[in-house]
Amino acid sequence: MKLFSRYNRINIASTVAIFLLASTAFYFLLRFVLIGQVDDDLRIEQREIEGYSQKFGRLPEPIAVKDQVIEFVPAGKIGSQRKAFQTINSSGSQREDMRQLIFSLPVGGQWYEVKVAKSLEGTDEIIRSVILISVSTILAILVASLLINRLVLRSLWKPFYDSLSAMQQFRLGQSSRPVFTPTSIEEFDTLNSTLEQSLSHAESDYQRLREFTDNASHELQTPLAVIRSKLDVLIQDEALSERQSQIVQSAYDAVRKMARLNHSLLLLSKIENRQFADLAEIRFDQLVEAKLEEFSELLHDKQFKLTVSLKPVIVRMNAELADALLNNLFSNAIRHTNIGGEIRVALDDNQFSLSNSAQQDKLDENKLFDRFYKGGQSSDQHGLGLSIAYQICQVSGFSIKYQYNNQVHWFTVTF
Amino acid sequence: MKILVIEDEQQLSESISAYLNNEHFICETVFDFHSAIEKISLYDYACIILDISLPGGSGLDILKELKSNNKADGVLIISAKNSLDDKILGLKTGADDYLTKPFHLPELAARVDAIIRRKSFDGRSLVRFDEIQLDLNEKLVKVDNKIVDLTRKEYDLLLYFISNKNRVISKGAIAEHLWGDNMDLADNYDFIYTHIKNLRKKLIQAGSADYIKSVYGMGYKFSAANQPK
Repeated sequence: MKLFSRYNRINIASTVAIFLLASTAFYFLLRFVLIGQVDDDLRIEQREIEGYSQKFGRLPEPIAVKDQVIEFVPAGKIGSQRKAFQTINSSGSQREDMRQLIFSLPVGGQWYEVKVAKSLEGTDEIIRSVILISVSTILAILVASLLINRLVLRSLWKPFYDSLSAMQQFRLGQSSRPVFTPTSIEEFDTLNSTLEQSLSHAESDYQRLREFTDNASHELQTPLAVIRSKLDVLIQDEALSERQSQIVQSAYDAVRKMARLNHSLLLLSKIENRQFADLAEIRFDQLVEAKLEEFSELLHDKQFKLTVSLKPVIVRMNAELADALLNNLFSNAIRHTNIGGEIRVALDDNQFSLSNSAQQDKLDENKLFDRFYKGGQSSDQHGLGLSIAYQICQVSGFSIKYQYNNQVHWFTVTF
Repeated sequence: MKILVIEDEQQLSESISAYLNNEHFICETVFDFHSAIEKISLYDYACIILDISLPGGSGLDILKELKSNNKADGVLIISAKNSLDDKILGLKTGADDYLTKPFHLPELAARVDAIIRRKSFDGRSLVRFDEIQLDLNEKLVKVDNKIVDLTRKEYDLLLYFISNKNRVISKGAIAEHLWGDNMDLADNYDFIYTHIKNLRKKLIQAGSADYIKSVYGMGYKFSAANQPK
């Protein structure tokens, strides 16, 4: 829910509740006061009638006055001074509320019950108009506050939304830093400066991390070169026994793995540092063919059934990266296909796809392109190959997708 | 022939000298920029193995110094930096070749050999090993003047062996020489075996002696038959 709608919801609900309560209370209070007024009038009337009857010893002539009805009813010999107010509904042509006062009056030894009634029409009218006014005030205030909130809040919160959209555009590791416009509001300025600080902090940490990978990999090259060269010298020793040779072979293998790992980490860090900026028009089909040629011995050795269909396609990307992309995808396919398995290579106008018959089940597509992901296989591979392929596609503006069906892994690069 | 190794990592420098020193080559070693400059101004070398990052200066400046003095020494750059730009820069500055650490010593030897061959034979590019003769321009191999029909890979392999004769070459070094370091498939080296077997068979059929020997499944050695293993 947006901040506005949340705020409006609370605002409207509470305003309406308060107005409803207030109008109800107002209605009853007003009615009470107005009826009190009418009752006072009735009492005055009573006093007038009593005064008249005492003075003249007879009942006054009922005078037809608008909104007022006086009745005299002879009432036996009851000597009680009955007196009561009540609200009645007159059964006239127009149903209207009346306020009636009934009291007893002795006139010439005869008791009369006197009923004085006054119409409440005026009162009701006042109440109606009061209610009407308050309801329309409520509506007007609601509409006004809604509009004001919308406009004012929107402009008040604008810096917040600006910062938000700036943050949404921001990607760690890209040179562009979000620009926060200064505002006149303290909270937003604090927010912006806090964001700016944490961003530059994150950015410098990230930079350091990247430099670390880069430097660490570089620094590892020389010791690796030393180990490898020592082994190369060691195996010249003619006194080396078979057992020792096996040990040396294991050491060679370990050095090779480490050198490859290092090579891949360096490549990744260079891709991330955007050090492959030169783009060229590449005949992708020719490159694929060259790779197939390069790998031909291996393809042949493992007796793969190879299906190739290539259309002449020109792709704009960095030449080194194109090479590395194909190396990684082909290496991956060749490594994970059993002897006699099937490999299909297809290239058309906007996509390149490579599939191989699977050794194992579906790979986890969410983790597949992660660094050091090893789909449950030997520790022999470092698990960076597909991550490199993914990064290359990213920086080249391509997308790479993995699919699995019918025991076949499919990798599709869409240009 | 003298080779100068300019490399600040002494252990690596030692290995290089130990591997390259033989009846043809003598290695001299220097470990920093200034002694390197001194050496190259005083002597001529058949080949200089040059590290780029040195205490006291950059290897590229040594290279520039060599070129400005019109020295004909061949130069092989060995660098921890593996990027096309560095490679191109090195070669443009006048290096003959560029090798990235960590390299295999047989690879280094083959590159040095190639540089020296290019420098000294001046086009008359024939390599001989007993009855085997390689024409580097034509990429032709003859045994007793009979042409042996080799594939590209077999030819590369033979030249590699001859550049590293009488030395044991690990299978990893062979794989990397033939397929480059882009290929991350050397989990098993069975495919090398096929190539070596074919090369050996073709040479023997053409009448050469059996020079290629397997060393405990760890590597191969190319040496004259009468020599001890």
